[in-house]
Amino acid sequence: MSQRAEQIEQLFAAGADRLLGRAADSHALAAEVLVPRLRSAVTKYVLRDDPEASLEVIADFIDKLQADDLCLIVACEQGNQRAWTDLVERFSATVKSAARSASSNEEGADDLAQSIWAELHGFRVRNDGRPAGKLSYYSGRGSLAGWLRAVVAQLAVDQHRKQSRMVQTEEDADFDRIIQHGQEENTWSGHGEAPNPELQISLKLAGAQMQKALAQSIRGLSAEDRLLVKLYYFDGLRLREAGAVLGVHEATASRRLTRVHNELRQQVGNILIEQEGWTRVETERAFSEVALKLDADIEPMLATEQILVKKENEVAG
Amino acid sequence: MNQASNNEIDLLLRSFARGDKDSALRSGLSTEQVNAAASNHLDADELNSYAEGVVPAPARARYIEHLAECEACRSVVISLVPTAGAVNAAETREKKASTDFWQKLRTLFTPPVLRFAVPALMLAAVMGIGLWAVRRQQPAEYIAQNKVENSPSPQISTGSQPSAANESTATNQSKTPAEKNLGSTTEKSNGALEKPDANQKRAVDETEVAKLPAAKDAGTAGAVAGVSELRPYDLAPKAAAPPPPTPLLDADKSATLAKERPAKREEQEPTRDDQLRNREEDVHEPNRAAAQRNTTSVPSNGRVGGLMSTRGVEKRKIGGGETRTVAGRHFTREGDAWVDTAYEPSRATIKVARGSDQFRALVADEPGIRAIAEQLNGVVIVVWNNRAYRIQ
Repeated sequence: MSQRAEQIEQLFAAGADRLLGRAADSHALAAEVLVPRLRSAVTKYVLRDDPEASLEVIADFIDKLQADDLCLIVACEQGNQRAWTDLVERFSATVKSAARSASSNEEGADDLAQSIWAELHGFRVRNDGRPAGKLSYYSGRGSLAGWLRAVVAQLAVDQHRKQSRMVQTEEDADFDRIIQHGQEENTWSGHGEAPNPELQISLKLAGAQMQKALAQSIRGLSAEDRLLVKLYYFDGLRLREAGAVLGVHEATASRRLTRVHNELRQQVGNILIEQEGWTRVETERAFSEVALKLDADIEPMLATEQILVKKENEVAG
Repeated sequence: MNQASNNEIDLLLRSFARGDKDSALRSGLSTEQVNAAASNHLDADELNSYAEGVVPAPARARYIEHLAECEACRSVVISLVPTAGAVNAAETREKKASTDFWQKLRTLFTPPVLRFAVPALMLAAVMGIGLWAVRRQQPAEYIAQNKVENSPSPQISTGSQPSAANESTATNQSKTPAEKNLGSTTEKSNGALEKPDANQKRAVDETEVAKLPAAKDAGTAGAVAGVSELRPYDLAPKAAAPPPPTPLLDADKSATLAKERPAKREEQEPTRDDQLRNREEDVHEPNRAAAQRNTTSVPSNGRVGGLMSTRGVEKRKIGGGETRTVAGRHFTREGDAWVDTAYEPSRATIKVARGSDQFRALVADEPGIRAIAEQLNGVVIVVWNNRAYRIQ
């Protein structure tokens, strides 16, 4: 074992002692039990992305772990019945709340909440005889309540995917038809009564080339800018919500989006000129025509949005 | 780039997001890339850590890269962020509440604050001490306080400046008449009239005369007559006092007043001879009257005068003798006693000891006597409701 590895191991041991000291209820855990957990967490969050991270960074990471939550989960994993009771009593409301948010009805929420506790405890048995539940995935970096919500949300997504593979219900079919109808009505590249078929073909071709250039330009954005575009345009979040996901203020997100607009506009024009052989005048005219066309179609687009929202409310209600 | 260009690209992006349902094209990735992204989904712990903003920077960059491509993980994060924000806000509030007091305390002692706070505090402290000192001196103005007569002309003083000079001389003035006479006699015998200025010599003579009972009575009469005309403080420089005008009180009047002196006072001043008294009265009566007139010609200090009048206490000094007006009663200083001018020596007095039950009952019934007893120290003989009280 290298000197650095030894130093890191010593950090784990000392960090486990400090963590137990910080916990209000250590559930009679030994420091040795926590060391593997700390090693896993440090590897996952620190050493994987920065193998040469300093010892101070590692120690700081350990000291910022949620001591009480981690001790509770490790105690549950160790088969401590009192810890299990404590976990269920303290977080059953959290799990139920998350399940309600992820489910469309009360019955589905109850089923989801029950399945969460089963997932946490684990159906299978590990080699050491203990149940192989999801508890081992909790690192203590975030809050236990937040982790439970994330587990519920992931489980809900998985269940939704499974259901999506099944036969679509009549309502889903109607829902999809509405979406499809709205999209067809509002697709700028293929919409409108073109008086001239040649012009219609020309518009479609131009639209396809602009879509391709736009997709390429989006790929060229930084990850954070790309995430902002996805959150704002694809996921339909408001700037405030998108900023919250990115961890920035709404005003910062707005400025960043304006900058992204400029970059994309510049990049799309360059791609059309360099790769598709457009002239700058044609590029400018295409942008204007697209804007005019989309601007003219904004009302039916908004009407479609209202239909979608109404349908979603009906499904949720 | 102008707003119109931004609107164009904004509309293009909206259309792009809605128009193509192919997730690979929508995300700008190839199908292989999408599959690779899906295979590396973030687990619940990572998603929650990201939503709560507690992921180290290198790991966060990786997560953002994944979230930009993975719709499933993004949807989970989107659902977690509002709750995580609420949790963080609550934790922040708790931390803020717990550390609020100490943070405020620390903020008070930061250099930017201290830079202005320390001088301000020092200034406030100096002002406070000064105010306290002034307030401590003010009561002395309202009680008996003698004033040095440095003026070359006899002048009726109705107040005293709270100066160190006055205080130092007040001890001399508070001597008993016998002591004063002894002092003045000594001065005379030692050639104390060595002051070169004739006015100064006259002032010394005035002092001696004022100690005489006749002068005292005359001063009392003058004081009674000119109470409303007196100003509490003699603001005009005494050296610049105008020459004595025509006397208002003639020698006959002074002589008449002198004859009215009580026999008791004659007994207290057995060494005075009438000749000297008459001579001094002749000399100083016009001056005193002039001083009165001169005093009234100078505009009085409204603030001080008002304050004095509200207290109901007036004090004047004629030569060396003192008179006072308290609660509408006029008193003259006789030895250690303040004697009501309305008091006749032949009248029997009711002795009341300060602090006794009788005294408390008396002042409770007669607030005026309380004011007198509070304003005048020592023995006070006051005539009240046709009764003479000797408060001691």
